[in-house]
Amino acid sequence: MAVTPRKTGWLQGNGWLLVLLALLILFPFIVGALTDSSPYGVARGDRMIMRGESVRWQSVLIEVYILAILTMSYNLLFGFTGVISFGHALFFGTASYLFGLALEFTEMDTGLAIVVGAVAAIVVCGLLGLLIGLVTLRLKGVYFAIFTLAVAEMFFIFLGRWQLTRAEDGFAITDLPAWLDPTQSRLSFYYLALVLAVLTFLFIRRLVNSPTGAVFQAIRENEDRAQSLGYNTLNYKLFSIVIAGMLAGVAGLLQVMLNKKVGPELLSVGYTVDPLLMTIIGGVGTLGGPIIGAAGLHLLDVFFRDRELVLGSMTIDIANIWALLLGVIFILAVIVFPYGVIGTWRRWQARALRKR
Amino acid sequence: MARTNRSSLIAILVIIGGLIAVAFVNSNSLGNFGITLLSGLFQGMLLFLVASGLSIVFGLMDVLNFAQGAYFMVGAYVAYDAQHAGGLIDLTQAIPDPNLRFPVAVILAVIVGALLGVILERGLLRPLYARPVFQLVLTFGVALVMAEIIKFIWTTTPYSWTEVFGVRESFFELFGQRFSTYRLFVVGMGIVLIILIALLLRRSRIGIIIRAGVEDREMVQSLGINVQTVFTLVFTLGCAIAALGGAVAAPFLGASTTIGDIFLLQAIAVVVLGGMGSYEGTAIGSVMVGLAVAVAQDAAIGTSFAALPSITPMLLLILVLLLRPSGLFGNAR
Amino acid sequence: MTDSILEVRDIHTFIGQFHILEGVSVSVPVGSITVLLGRNGAGKTTTLRSIMGLTPPARGQILFDGKNIAGKHPHAIAQLGIGYVPEHRAIFRELTVHENLRIAERKRGDLARKADFIFELFPDLKRLIDLPGGNLSGGQQQMLAVARALVPDNRLLLIDEPSEGLAPVIIEQLMAAISRLAESSSVLLVEQNFRVASRLAQQYVIIEEGQSPAAGKIDALVQDAALVQRYLGVA
Repeated sequence: MAVTPRKTGWLQGNGWLLVLLALLILFPFIVGALTDSSPYGVARGDRMIMRGESVRWQSVLIEVYILAILTMSYNLLFGFTGVISFGHALFFGTASYLFGLALEFTEMDTGLAIVVGAVAAIVVCGLLGLLIGLVTLRLKGVYFAIFTLAVAEMFFIFLGRWQLTRAEDGFAITDLPAWLDPTQSRLSFYYLALVLAVLTFLFIRRLVNSPTGAVFQAIRENEDRAQSLGYNTLNYKLFSIVIAGMLAGVAGLLQVMLNKKVGPELLSVGYTVDPLLMTIIGGVGTLGGPIIGAAGLHLLDVFFRDRELVLGSMTIDIANIWALLLGVIFILAVIVFPYGVIGTWRRWQARALRKR
Repeated sequence: MARTNRSSLIAILVIIGGLIAVAFVNSNSLGNFGITLLSGLFQGMLLFLVASGLSIVFGLMDVLNFAQGAYFMVGAYVAYDAQHAGGLIDLTQAIPDPNLRFPVAVILAVIVGALLGVILERGLLRPLYARPVFQLVLTFGVALVMAEIIKFIWTTTPYSWTEVFGVRESFFELFGQRFSTYRLFVVGMGIVLIILIALLLRRSRIGIIIRAGVEDREMVQSLGINVQTVFTLVFTLGCAIAALGGAVAAPFLGASTTIGDIFLLQAIAVVVLGGMGSYEGTAIGSVMVGLAVAVAQDAAIGTSFAALPSITPMLLLILVLLLRPSGLFGNAR
Repeated sequence: MTDSILEVRDIHTFIGQFHILEGVSVSVPVGSITVLLGRNGAGKTTTLRSIMGLTPPARGQILFDGKNIAGKHPHAIAQLGIGYVPEHRAIFRELTVHENLRIAERKRGDLARKADFIFELFPDLKRLIDLPGGNLSGGQQQMLAVARALVPDNRLLLIDEPSEGLAPVIIEQLMAAISRLAESSSVLLVEQNFRVASRLAQQYVIIEEGQSPAAGKIDALVQDAALVQRYLGVA
């Protein structure tokens, strides 16, 4: 897996990325300075209370990072390999349940439970992907979509009725160590989520630019041809789904830690629709697309959530119609904007170059 | 060819026989057994109404319409709304007789379903025939939007049926057990529709074109037939029948925002079980899944495993994909 | 020029990003049989599919009766009076012989009008009328595929490799039928079997690497062993 040699140096090639990264690292302090709030929260006795603009914006960005990881994993599968899953929430939710079970329902001490829970969650997500892939990836593409939807829905229904994990209510995570607990030290959790998002990005970029990634894209373009070139496309697709499942699991772990709560809503169709929509809006099969999609849509969501829309005499809470708006954006995007932000931008650039 | 048909037939007989046997063993009286059977057939016929469109559209157009469940839901809401006072399309004033209002509301629901079907096919799917992956994604998105619009119009609170009318209220007695005439009516209507659609597919010119199109779309075009028009017709018909399903289900199941997803998933199980694009497979698969759900409902009573009936279709789907992915009659590759 | 029913002028066709036809020109005179000759993969089938509109050409003209049909939908092209018999006997296997013929009707009553003619050419089909197409033998399927193109009033028939994989006796019968067809309509034929092609056709067009380097009277080709050797690899 050699990195393709570039003429420019690594630093130059990644210039804008490093600037962005530096901004994100400094973000809590910048917001803190601008709003005159502490990035560490407010001290009360020997405890820190998570209050203030900086802390609030940190959690918004943490959510963006989690969605970005989930969307990048979805894009690896859908955008780069051409396999559609309608049940990506399955991996997200399964990982969160396993992690929660390890922490709250076993006798292990906290440190061990975190490690065991996280490792088990990610391994199981990979295995789940492998199993689903083995069953359906030999068939027409639509069977994979159906199967993931059905399994996700089945887990969703089952967990919604499972008394051990308090059915629909879910259960709270009480046992996180202070450094990992966003209600005690938001800032360290912010950096953890940022690091994981950056690692995911670098990993996917490396994978996509490797020979393996080239085969993924050949499968997306025309699977029969990839097969006739001698590639065992099934194995490549399986590899893609396993990696995508595991990365979605990582996002699920972060979500549990952020909200300190596990419930069936983590397996709901929303966590499948979000990455699908964010991939399409950002740019299917591009590296930056999922990040732009996740950041753009989530920030819009936060911005509009508590606003109202006034239509003549009617006043509508945007929060009530947010899902509807998203759906309409989704349909419009598929029909008129199928290349997403990045794809459309590249087309414009290409056209401008041709004109010159 | 003949051998696969024979083994399919044996498999069908074994599965249906097995389901009926389990139902029989589980029920402590003939009356209970009859109730399970009738409710299985009722469920199966409703499923057929969603699954037949799903399957034929997939066979002909290679589009799996994930919005099919949403059309069922629209049918249920429109029919409910038209028959109850105080709604959006209140027919209680215009047609005071509830027995007359029922068929009018059903027809209204079918018309709404058909109109929404034309809009989806002509307006949204047609630009995407060159990009099949996005068609799949699009129908998924349309399902979400339709569910959200319904929530916006009718809120998320489920409606249970309150209006009283003849067929719905009457019962007949057998083996000392009361059976709902309405269920029997829906089963009868389903059987009539199964036969009508079969006749349409077997005997009419359009039916021949549809069956030919499932096999080889390109050749149908080369014979001078405008396949696009056939697509629109079939897709619209599929949506209208799904809405019909919702409309006749509403007096029993009410109208709720989850009903579409439930029926979509069960219908997908039916279509995979029967074999994508196979009409016979869809009809038989519907009865099988309906019976399986009824048996599971029966089995789950009094146990802590309340999720069993909801999970049963998905379990069936997984089993079929593991054992015989092409379904009973069909081709998965 | 005016005696050509079909005039293909320098068409270019792409499939995906592959440039399959790089300038093919074909002329089919009224009331005769023209054969496309050439090696496998030269672009003969794509030429027929381009005429039919199934793989529309990106450039070039296709004149049918003097009107350009390039870019029209396949069904609209068929309705002008062009019948297509694709390779590999593309009949509908799940439909009966009768349904296979009935679906080809362009006007009500086409089949009733043509039935006698069709069953005279292919007497076997009458006997098999209610069997599913998939149950027919290879030769019977090919006859059905040709018969299907005869149901409406077609003025041009595009027939792709009718003799492929068939027994000599059946080929004879098919050939006889095709020569009779040429009495009422023009035919553009793709045929690998040079012996069969040279007996049947009056004109030839060589297709080679997506182009049409040579064309003319078939009698002249039969005399010119060097040309045959060069393009077809048979003497």
